[in-house]
Amino acid sequence: MNEHSLLSPYTAKALEYGLAIFYLLLFVPFWRFVQGETPVHAFGFGWFQVPNGVHLHAGHAWARPEGGTVEVGLDDFAHKLVGPLDELLLPPIGAPVRQGQKAFSLMAGGQQLDVLSPIDGHVVAVNEAARAHPEGVLRDPYGAGWLMKVEPRWLTGNLKNLFTGEGARRFLDAAAGKLAQRLTPQLGVVLQDGGTPVHGIARALDPDHWDELARRFLGGK
Amino acid sequence: MNLNRRSLFKIAAAAGTAGLAGAAATSRASVLPASKDARGVLVDTTRCVGCRGCEAACSEANALLGPEKPGDDAVFASRRTTSPTAYTVVQKGTRKSAAGDDRYAKTQCMHCVTPACASGCVVKALEKTPEGPVVYHTDRCLGCRYCMIVCPFGVPKYEFSSATPLVKKCTFCAERQRNGLAPACTEVCPSGALKFGKRADLLEEARTRIYTNPDAYVHKIYGEDEAGGTSWLYISDVPFESLALPSGIEKKSYPELAEGALSAVPFVITLWPPLLMGMYTFSKRRDEVAAAEGNDRQEEGHV
Amino acid sequence: MSEQALKPAFLGGPWMKENVFLGMSFRAYAKSLLTPANAVAAAILLAGIPTMVFRFWKGLGAATNLSQTNPWGIWVAFDVVCGVALAAGGYTVACAVYIFGQKAYRPILRPAILTGFLGYALVLFGLIVDLGQPWRLPYQFFLTPGTTAVMYEVGWCVFLYLMVLGLEFAPAALEWLGLVKVRRLLGSLTIGIIVLGVTLSTLHQSSLGAFFLMTPGKLHPLWYSPFLPIFFFVSSISAGIGMVIVESSLSHRAFHDQLDPQAPVDLDKITLGLAKGGAVVLFAYFFIRLQGLVGSGRFDLLATGWGAWYLLEILGFILLPSLLFAFAARRQSAKLARVAGLLTVLGVVLNRFNVSLIAFNWNVQDRYFPSVGEVVTSLTIVTIGVLIFRWIVNRMPVVHEHPDWRGAH
Repeated sequence: MNEHSLLSPYTAKALEYGLAIFYLLLFVPFWRFVQGETPVHAFGFGWFQVPNGVHLHAGHAWARPEGGTVEVGLDDFAHKLVGPLDELLLPPIGAPVRQGQKAFSLMAGGQQLDVLSPIDGHVVAVNEAARAHPEGVLRDPYGAGWLMKVEPRWLTGNLKNLFTGEGARRFLDAAAGKLAQRLTPQLGVVLQDGGTPVHGIARALDPDHWDELARRFLGGK
Repeated sequence: MNLNRRSLFKIAAAAGTAGLAGAAATSRASVLPASKDARGVLVDTTRCVGCRGCEAACSEANALLGPEKPGDDAVFASRRTTSPTAYTVVQKGTRKSAAGDDRYAKTQCMHCVTPACASGCVVKALEKTPEGPVVYHTDRCLGCRYCMIVCPFGVPKYEFSSATPLVKKCTFCAERQRNGLAPACTEVCPSGALKFGKRADLLEEARTRIYTNPDAYVHKIYGEDEAGGTSWLYISDVPFESLALPSGIEKKSYPELAEGALSAVPFVITLWPPLLMGMYTFSKRRDEVAAAEGNDRQEEGHV
Repeated sequence: MSEQALKPAFLGGPWMKENVFLGMSFRAYAKSLLTPANAVAAAILLAGIPTMVFRFWKGLGAATNLSQTNPWGIWVAFDVVCGVALAAGGYTVACAVYIFGQKAYRPILRPAILTGFLGYALVLFGLIVDLGQPWRLPYQFFLTPGTTAVMYEVGWCVFLYLMVLGLEFAPAALEWLGLVKVRRLLGSLTIGIIVLGVTLSTLHQSSLGAFFLMTPGKLHPLWYSPFLPIFFFVSSISAGIGMVIVESSLSHRAFHDQLDPQAPVDLDKITLGLAKGGAVVLFAYFFIRLQGLVGSGRFDLLATGWGAWYLLEILGFILLPSLLFAFAARRQSAKLARVAGLLTVLGVVLNRFNVSLIAFNWNVQDRYFPSVGEVVTSLTIVTIGVLIFRWIVNRMPVVHEHPDWRGAH
């Protein structure tokens, strides 16, 4: 093969070293890229569920286009954060809702918490079963636990502001991360033993001011 | 300065092989020794008339089926190769001599000085003898066919149609040589194209023929350093490629090509376990420290 | 653990029914085997086993397309050369878990070791089918050892590593059989066995590349390199990672009922961890392949058809999966990581085929293409492997931990 080689030995060796150094220069950013995943804290990936096709608002309400209307509900994270609901204060049929503004309220632990609407439109139906048994909504937050149906005004534009698919999972993980910063070791043990977060994390975290914490998340902050 | 690229290569390869083993290429453990008294054959293709007497003698000496269509020159029409039943075949060259004569070359096992087949044989079925022949032990071969993979001349042939197959190739009449006889082919050659003798002497002879008649020969001895040197040597007045002798064969011993990798083996066996145990200890210690710190924090009741 | 558990469990009466017939009566068990997948497997075996008999009866020539110019076909290229690379998951994960202390990969350790063990056993099986006179295989260990041969070293390493893998997998079998004392003894030897396994794997994975060091001129210059052993070793690590990703995703789906609901396994997280490793290994592998190209100095050949084929291999099946792994890790997408894993596995298969078959003898007229018999035989060997894998996973603690032995070495 010697006679076929197009390079002098000096050039060839220089090229080998050059390639090795070029590799090292690329390796540094490559390594940082590979290692630099979205931060996942004590709440590991998958602690909070969100199925495909569901669009999450920053205030933890979800929207799912179904035919001409859009189902709206409260996501897994918000349910687990707030804990068992005492009462659901849903708007009357025909009431207008606007993305990012109050849509309905929850009563839990003697506190009223407002939830922001994920889309613009007006209410065409509310889930009477959920209103009658609010404590059962958590069992299926994205299915039987829908809360109201909305006739959208401009759905396409609204959906652009919502998280979906991998983005939604990342959003919930980030929320979990924020929550994890407030986690005490004792509570961490309790949570991890159960395999899933306790129902009512906010109350477990800070029994006196839990509503402030919950409002911060539901307010999309 | 004429730095040899291959030698740079070899150093790099040896240094890198399996991650370490520095000066591996200097070790000779896997290269079989060559003997000064080893025999060879000089093939002067300018003298060969293509009578195929060597083929017939070979068949007889090795108790093979006779050569196909003896005496019929029509066999030269297509490219011929050795086979499990023909250890040597005469090829007709694609070029004629300056005087317009056809040129022929006998092909058979070259009996390399340091044969790839023998060094690569896992059961020593192929062995290089100090006298020159590369011999085959029929009772050892397990039929992996690696000799066929590595032979740069494509010599070993396999009995694919047999249920207990063997490798077949020219024996250099090792048995006859042991009894003081010349190989059968060299004995019958009527034109003096084949000369049997000590390889070292034959190289001198070949050079003498070329230098005393410089216009009648290509100035090269095929086999002098092909694959590190072969027992069979060829001189010719037409290019060797035209005689179906393979070109592009490395000018170094083939076993040496695998030498760096093989000499790294003891180094890996020596160095890997302490290295791995070191890493194991390190990761275990790290886990212990982490566990101890975790306990401390819980005991102190830190938030 | 109770005293009763110290008695070998398989001597007990209901053990056979519980652990061999999966809790069914023999009749019900036999009936449960009538599935479409089993019908396909049976069809392959029905075609393959007579083919193998035919091959030993009539010789290699009758059953294969091997020739004097192409003495090696897919029985070497796929069954042996690819087989060894694809069985690399065992040593890769064992090294990560025990040597580097990456405990997170424990749930996939036993499936990987089982795949490796069966892989090597099938390599041996494939070798026996391919060898002209396989009954002489032991000659290399005593009688007439050809110590100078690369194959001598490979033979020893594969033989010893097969035993090491057997020992690495033995805890699962012993837990199944309820042999407590032997199981405990083996647990105390774990690290030594793992170190031996990694060392042997380093040696023979690289030596498979050394097979082709003596074939310059026959192997196309874009693939021939004095660094072939290093290429084979590094790519075996990526093959191991790719195989573990693919195999664990398949078996988590296929053996879902075997998973322990008490100890849920976050396979996505494990896959993403492996993806990081795969990204870095393939990235480095890509650059050492480029070093091989610079070493050969044959940039002119890149402009040929062979050059395009070479670029397809190193860009499409080394660099691309590396980048996909990187994106998968970054975006936390296990799905993308599985695509990259599959691409990596295909890339290693492509590389081994290129070196041992496709780019080998590139300059001769008489090219090889496998016969139906060869393909059927290789398929049969893979099928046997899958069937044994399934039989074992359905019975022994492989994808789940044995309740008595949770977290034990």
